[in-house]
Amino acid sequence: MSVIAPKFRLGYLLKGIIDNALWILVIATLIAIPAIQIILIYIDLPVIDGILWDPFRTLDAITHPERALPLVKAFMQTDLFKVVAFPGFGFAALIAAAVIFVERKMLAKLQLRVGPFYCGKVEGILQLMADGLKLISKEIIIPAKADKPIFWAAPVLFAATAAAFVALIPVAPGWVVADIDLGLLAVFAVIGFFPIITILSAWSANSKFPFIGGIRALYQMVSFEIPLILSVLGIVLLTGTLDLVDIIESQANFPWIIFMPIGAIVFFICILAELERIPFDLPEAESEIVAGWLTEFSGMMYGLVQLGSYLKLYAFAALFVVLFLGGWNGPLIVPTFPAEIINEGIVLMPDALVIKDIPGLPLFSQEMINGTVWFLLKTVGVIFFILLPRGVFPRVRIDLLLHIGWYKLIILAFVNIFIALGLVYGGIIGPGGIL
Amino acid sequence: MSERILPGLQLEKVDDRIMTLNVGPQHPGSGHMRIILKVDGDYIVHCDPDPGYVHRGEEKMAEYRNYITNIPHLERPVIHDSCNILYPYCLGVEELLGLEVPERAKYLRVIAAELNRCVYTQYWLGIYGIFLGHSTMFMWPVGDRELFIDLLEKMTGARVTHSYFVPGGIRNDVPPNFEDVCLRHVNYFEKRIKEYADVFYDNPILISRTKDTGILSREDAIKLGTTGSVLRASGVDFDIRKKEPYDVYEEMDFDTNVLKEGDSYARSKIPWLDMFQSCRIIRDALQKMPKSGSVRVKLKPNPRGGDTEVYRRVESGRGTLGMHIVSKGKPQPYRLKMSVGSFRNLIAMPHLLTGEKLGNLPPVYWSLNYWPVEADR
Amino acid sequence: MSSTNNTEIEKIEDTSLVSDTEKSLSDSISKKFPNVQITYVNPNRIRVNVKREEIIDVASFIRDELHFDHAESVSGVDYPEDNQVEVVYHLGSYTDPSLSKQILALATRTPREDIPHPGNDNTKLPSLYDVFPSVSFHERECFEMLGVYFEGNPDNRRLLLPEDWADIPPLRKDFAIKGR
Repeated sequence: MSVIAPKFRLGYLLKGIIDNALWILVIATLIAIPAIQIILIYIDLPVIDGILWDPFRTLDAITHPERALPLVKAFMQTDLFKVVAFPGFGFAALIAAAVIFVERKMLAKLQLRVGPFYCGKVEGILQLMADGLKLISKEIIIPAKADKPIFWAAPVLFAATAAAFVALIPVAPGWVVADIDLGLLAVFAVIGFFPIITILSAWSANSKFPFIGGIRALYQMVSFEIPLILSVLGIVLLTGTLDLVDIIESQANFPWIIFMPIGAIVFFICILAELERIPFDLPEAESEIVAGWLTEFSGMMYGLVQLGSYLKLYAFAALFVVLFLGGWNGPLIVPTFPAEIINEGIVLMPDALVIKDIPGLPLFSQEMINGTVWFLLKTVGVIFFILLPRGVFPRVRIDLLLHIGWYKLIILAFVNIFIALGLVYGGIIGPGGIL
Repeated sequence: MSERILPGLQLEKVDDRIMTLNVGPQHPGSGHMRIILKVDGDYIVHCDPDPGYVHRGEEKMAEYRNYITNIPHLERPVIHDSCNILYPYCLGVEELLGLEVPERAKYLRVIAAELNRCVYTQYWLGIYGIFLGHSTMFMWPVGDRELFIDLLEKMTGARVTHSYFVPGGIRNDVPPNFEDVCLRHVNYFEKRIKEYADVFYDNPILISRTKDTGILSREDAIKLGTTGSVLRASGVDFDIRKKEPYDVYEEMDFDTNVLKEGDSYARSKIPWLDMFQSCRIIRDALQKMPKSGSVRVKLKPNPRGGDTEVYRRVESGRGTLGMHIVSKGKPQPYRLKMSVGSFRNLIAMPHLLTGEKLGNLPPVYWSLNYWPVEADR
Repeated sequence: MSSTNNTEIEKIEDTSLVSDTEKSLSDSISKKFPNVQITYVNPNRIRVNVKREEIIDVASFIRDELHFDHAESVSGVDYPEDNQVEVVYHLGSYTDPSLSKQILALATRTPREDIPHPGNDNTKLPSLYDVFPSVSFHERECFEMLGVYFEGNPDNRRLLLPEDWADIPPLRKDFAIKGR
């Protein structure tokens, strides 16, 4: 966008404004309002809190915002909001963006340098936006002999699978996108997709280095899935359920990490391997095979893969918190909603303007906010420990990696299962136990 | 020659099982050279190094320049270790022209050479970290080497390619408070490199990747004529600074580090241990240096040597650097041959890499202390 | 090699710094091989001129009896006025501590053609690869830079020059750098 700006003339500005206003008027009267009328004939008006909500109430809510809260609350219960904003994609994407920024800054401080510094006034906060804009504006180059349908589909599939994974994690009581009875099994099914997508994208690029990277990623992910699943088997034995919400509720008094420390360690190491983070980032080993299976992706496809990667990071950290650290449980640190606002209304100016009777307060219940805060704190702690090895360890070689996955971690996971069995049969935990 | 002959091309048969990989010049893990590997699954069956991508014809061009104009030309093979490359050249030309170097110049030369050795070793250590995937091992050495580059800038005026040594001494004297600043920098530097032991050399993943890989036995190291840290990591105690001391190295008090295992871990540890000895030498030289004096012998314009030849050698960051100068009574040398440590260690590369796993290529290859630009000259 | 060579190396007159090691080395070589010419015996540097037929025997003697075990550098020097190319091997010792300062320069000459066909004319020398394996890459470089073919070197290919170099070997004096 490097046009030289023309000289400002008032006549042109007024002409532009009147043009736009005219077009908005035309489109609104001829198309928009008739469309709304037609839609309203066919859909049912919502019933919120026992009151039929017709368009007049909506317009009323626009002018008197204190009466709009029930509409907002009803909207937040719908699936659309849960998928898009909280606890679904928007929330996870925000956390992913914050994680990318924190990772770069933390790594920089570890390495005695500063990190992103110039974009944005405060310590380079806007660096992420700049990177996103750069990726969008780049040309997408497809190798000539690549398998085009699969090559185009692979990053989209990757981001979609990561989003599916995020959808299964409960964040606060009652707030989960997909409430499935066999939640843990669904998680493992989704995790099983990732190696397939990796090998598809590596194969379709039709080049030597992505091929080697894809094979290595396949080895790594497959050999670390088994200890991942086995280490969680202990928790399932102790709680007797596969539903993630029930697992969290069973940790109301104590988190499971106290009784299953070995399982937690094995799970953590498997997380690092599944996320392809250092010390297990062989599939993207830059100095040996250029960028591994990501070599041929450019522009927004690379952006999608990175987004999927960081969504996966958040989801795995959240899964660790849910299974081992107690999910949203924690002592009440959020104060209750002030009771006088519910009873007497908000006082805007003393003795002058008092708004009474705001229906629908409080917007979020206290336990929900408390649960979300504790969940966020624990997830941030786990993410910190996932990001830390990047500054400390070099990369592991492929045969040492497979040795760790197939021998050491499976043995430790079995030890963990025996400990769990011992606890159940000893009558300490579980049905009929002491605790 | 009317028809075009391309005698350098080679034809190869394509095999089903063995894949030919070009770890080529456009590869983040190869430096400025190409290694042609034939790989069978994960094992390397044949390795053929192909240097020459940065060949600039230094030796040929040196025959067209006289002894003083050769100085900025000859230091280009390794830009941050330039003093050590010019060292045998200056010693050789001084022998040819019969010059006597003043005392203060000798000590300053020793200091500059040791500073350069540390600067080179830090950069090499940084790239070793990158090859292994350890980004902190890149950032810390490259950041700490800025201390010494600052010092060299105060001494010589340039951060790299200093053009500091001339036949007859050094080009200019150091600024007045140089000794204090240098001592402070050296003390801080030594504290910093002590911390490398925790993050790099005691790091279990680094040890598991580099220990017992690329083992070079003592007999092979001697037979193949390797030099420098590769030789000392295989158990041979040979350091030109001790065996054939030049300038004032006889009066300096330092040790030679020798390790016996001969694997990549030992080869990566010896340059780091040598840096501690360099700090000792610098402190010693700062103490013993005469406080004032001339630093340069005045030369006639276009000096000529007689009909003789000389061969002088020096211990640089990569190994023994020998300079063979043949002069025929003209202001230009008749033939100038540099025998550099990287080129002599290149022969160990096919010897070590054949039979290794492909994942061991970066640790073994870079641990040979190989600087591609220097080997090509 | 002609004995009335006007490109011979001068001797340094001051022999006071020459120690017994160099004298004993030069004496033992000239006693065993009376045809060689000891060009100079300087402090820590000896130079021995050998004909190309004898060079392998002399090199084997130096390796076995005198304990020199590796070659530090192999440099080729072009003498167009004699129509000869000289190759100088600088040999050093790692194993013998008394010899660690010494460098023995072993020099030999080979005839030179005006229009070289590297590998196919009579600019040939026997390779010292079987005696000192450390010379292999140095001899390859000497071959491509000066056109001296080393018989017995298992690998006489290009090393530093590009694959499509079709000009004369660059370190010859006939090859002029453009612009100088």
